[in-house]
Amino acid sequence: MVTGTRLGIGVLLAALLGAPAVLPPFYVYLLALILVTGLLATSLNLVLGFGGMYQFHHGVFYGIGAYTLAIAITKWNGPAWMGMVAGPLAAAGAGLLMGLVCVRLERLYFGMLQLSLGSFVWIVALRWYPVTGGDNGLHGIPLPPELHPLDSAYRFILITVAASLLVLWAVVRSPFGLTLQAIRDNPQRCSVVGIPVRAHQLVAMVLAAFFAGVAGTLYVVLERSVFPNMLFWVLSLEILVMCLLGGWFTFFGPLLGAALVVALRVFVGRHTEYWTLILGVLLILLIFFLPEGILGTLGARRAQNPRVPVPQPTHAGDAHG
Amino acid sequence: MDPVAVLGQILVGLSRAMILFIVAAGLSLVLGVLRVPNVFHGSLYMVGAFVAWTVAEAMGGHPARLWPALVAAPLVTAAVGLVVERTLLCRLYQREHLMLILFTFGVMLILNDLVKLSWGPTYRSLVPPEALQGSVSVLGVALPRYNLVLLLVGPLVATALWLFAHRTRIGKIARAAATDREMVAVLGIDVGRVFAVAFGVGCSLAGLGGALVAPTTSITLGMDHTLLIESFLIVIIGGLGNLWGALVGSLLFGVAHSVGLLIWPQFAIAFPYAITAGVLLLRPQGLLRSVW
Amino acid sequence: MHTRRSVVLAILGMVAVSVAQAGPSFRFERNIKVGIVDTYSGPPAVFGNDALNGFRLALEEINREGVHGARIEFVTRDEKFSPEIGLSMARELVLQERVDLLVGTINSATALAISAFAREQRVPFLVWISKSEQITGAKGHRYVFSTSENTAMAGKALAYALARQGYSRFWIGAEDYEYGHAVTNSFWRFMKRAKPEATLLGQTWWRTGEPDLVPYLTQILQARPEAAFFGTGGAGMANVLRTMRVIGFAERVPSAIHTAIDVTVLRPLGAAAPEGVWGTTDYLFYYPETPANREFVRRFQAAYRDPPGFPAFHGYITAQFIAEAYRKARSLDRERFIEALEGLRIRTPVGEVEMRACDHQAALPLFFGRTRRDPQFPFLVAGDLVTIPAREAMPTCEDIQRARARGR
Repeated sequence: MVTGTRLGIGVLLAALLGAPAVLPPFYVYLLALILVTGLLATSLNLVLGFGGMYQFHHGVFYGIGAYTLAIAITKWNGPAWMGMVAGPLAAAGAGLLMGLVCVRLERLYFGMLQLSLGSFVWIVALRWYPVTGGDNGLHGIPLPPELHPLDSAYRFILITVAASLLVLWAVVRSPFGLTLQAIRDNPQRCSVVGIPVRAHQLVAMVLAAFFAGVAGTLYVVLERSVFPNMLFWVLSLEILVMCLLGGWFTFFGPLLGAALVVALRVFVGRHTEYWTLILGVLLILLIFFLPEGILGTLGARRAQNPRVPVPQPTHAGDAHG
Repeated sequence: MDPVAVLGQILVGLSRAMILFIVAAGLSLVLGVLRVPNVFHGSLYMVGAFVAWTVAEAMGGHPARLWPALVAAPLVTAAVGLVVERTLLCRLYQREHLMLILFTFGVMLILNDLVKLSWGPTYRSLVPPEALQGSVSVLGVALPRYNLVLLLVGPLVATALWLFAHRTRIGKIARAAATDREMVAVLGIDVGRVFAVAFGVGCSLAGLGGALVAPTTSITLGMDHTLLIESFLIVIIGGLGNLWGALVGSLLFGVAHSVGLLIWPQFAIAFPYAITAGVLLLRPQGLLRSVW
Repeated sequence: MHTRRSVVLAILGMVAVSVAQAGPSFRFERNIKVGIVDTYSGPPAVFGNDALNGFRLALEEINREGVHGARIEFVTRDEKFSPEIGLSMARELVLQERVDLLVGTINSATALAISAFAREQRVPFLVWISKSEQITGAKGHRYVFSTSENTAMAGKALAYALARQGYSRFWIGAEDYEYGHAVTNSFWRFMKRAKPEATLLGQTWWRTGEPDLVPYLTQILQARPEAAFFGTGGAGMANVLRTMRVIGFAERVPSAIHTAIDVTVLRPLGAAAPEGVWGTTDYLFYYPETPANREFVRRFQAAYRDPPGFPAFHGYITAQFIAEAYRKARSLDRERFIEALEGLRIRTPVGEVEMRACDHQAALPLFFGRTRRDPQFPFLVAGDLVTIPAREAMPTCEDIQRARARGR
């Protein structure tokens, strides 16, 4: 990373740390929500943008992480920190299971199989009233008193998200990450060369699921509730939209996308109840005019040298790569 | 378990399966021929229900008010689909599937809000005509008359679709284009026109499904959400683009749920999803042959 | 001479008396802001809109007179029957819009979620449609109040009524959410008290707002219970009633549902609603025919065309409670408001209603009846009506203390 960028990020972090002192509580809450959603979107992008996999139901891991923490505290009466570790681990476990089943398939089939397995998890959460609270979810989840005030919760979320993003950044830049991107661009060539394609994809899925689980537990810290909607397919598509909006070949694109969508929901939603219509229009404009997403297009314009090549378009022709 | 109870539940499940089949068949057609996973298919189902309500209301208490509704709804949804396809969607066929999904998702968001704008947020009720109300005793089981109607309409639609796909020229070309579109283009046939027809038919089926379900349920915003995921799953387990597969999948779904209520009421609604997961684990390409 | 002096004295005397009576002239320095979270889309929207209309009708008179010179203003937010959205709306109203108090909602789970939030933020929260008894019972606290009847009252009324009819083999069908569980638990709890030999043949639970209820209801018919109880509310009530009519359920199996006889439920269904269903509600626009009730109905229909249902009645008395409490408190401070509201009695279209201090629950009577057609109206109404006074229907203060202690 260029020193200038590193400095910029440091300044941003410092500013964010100090935010509760200057901003009214509602904006602190909003920032925390953006951070959580941004982590979720970035974790998806590990497999989507950098891995080229059609992860259509990423929300499952988010929900599993959140519900594990919630159930650990309310039903098993465990300490909060145990739940916060169990959440991401459970999500990673689910990612492993789902990955073992799905990575045999390509592209659209991969996505659709994930969608069906994920929907099954959603249904179980919806019907298992005694454990998951069914349709209502669980709320008023008691957390350690240190995390009760909004400012402390915010700082905890900020530090955790920053640390997670750091790890994800390292993964993307590591030899593993570069290999993953090569697999995204041309899986046949990679496997001919001797790279274990499926193994790489599986590891990527587990990592992505782990950090989605982290995002889920952070959501519980912020809202003190869990809802079955977290496991519903519409949320998963929304996260996909965030990645695309911000730029799915860039690292910070999903974070930007998350900020935009959350801001849209809150600020536009205040003036009109039809903010989803505006989101839909934005999305269509994006697909036609900014297919690289916002950061992606900016990055392409700034750098004179050719970008990472666009993956072979699987146009309505080939489902098998 | 009481065999009469089981039979009753099977019959009820079958009638629900008919609606699922009609909607899933439309989705399968679009997915098979155009290779577009149409996320706004569910919204068209909802539009179909609302349009049916509007037409039936306009006819006051007329006993035959359901028929114009059943004709108007598919026409409206076909028109909406065609407008979207001809203006925007056709430019995206060369793009990745991901873009198609996101595009149709965007259209879904827009359509849903337009429905809210047009009909408002309150729910509507479509009372079926007198002749179709009440229940009939079939082999000791009390089956609503309207469900009997659905049991007849389903196979009719299936037959019509089969005739379309196998006996009409455009249907045969569509099937060919599904398997090998380059070849069809090379033969000098306007692939774009074929796609438009297929898309229009698919969208009209969604509207028809919505119109048929309207008398049995609250016509409201959000009625499309679970139906869409169910349709997708049915299409996947049946085999992409395979109409018989859509029928098999729908039957599995509908009957698994209603019979499941006798076995394990609490989790009956999970049975179809569990079956889907099971099928896909064993045969990821679907039960019957996929077109691609 | 004498006449002029006596006139001056008289005037002085009158001035002295009026000065003594007036006391310090007191005015609020700003208007009162109320934040309303409710469902305004989907099937439950009829209830939310009804409540808002009742609230607005009351505000017309209240704001004409003023509350110590201030008006009561309100903002609304749509929770779309989702506790997740409702909670974030409540948060926005308190932190961003800076409302003085919160009012809402129809979804009992949302009400509980907002209640927890209100307690944390120390903001008064008045619940006007949600009925879970946990709201003022086991999960009640200083900052939450209810102007709606609750599932403890409804369950008790329906259980005793059905026990009196002689049924003892039941089936329960309900929606799988907070209200469904609350009303069902309450019904069965009181049924066992009223008739220890009563048996539950089985239960069927479905998703809230499940559109196709035919397989569920046919399955219940196969089981042939003597009577059925349905724990369904805002989202699913319409579907249950409609499906019951389509398959002729009520003719085969006597059924009881709380709020089934209310006009907010029956009016949108029109001819699609079934006859012969037993139900309870705490307000009917045609019963009792007191002058106060008639006047309320007349004014409501003049403003909103349709007759008021129970949500409109609750909305109306909520506004009255708020205004009277602020008048009594003479302060915009939230704690003073709460103290003034506890034990407050107001005059409503159905008589005097008290906000009970021990649990913050408004003491409302219940009406029990059966749906039937009436040529006067394009929708069904209730017949065979029986009134259950508040003190018979409500749990005692000791019951509440015990429930809260157990919950802790």
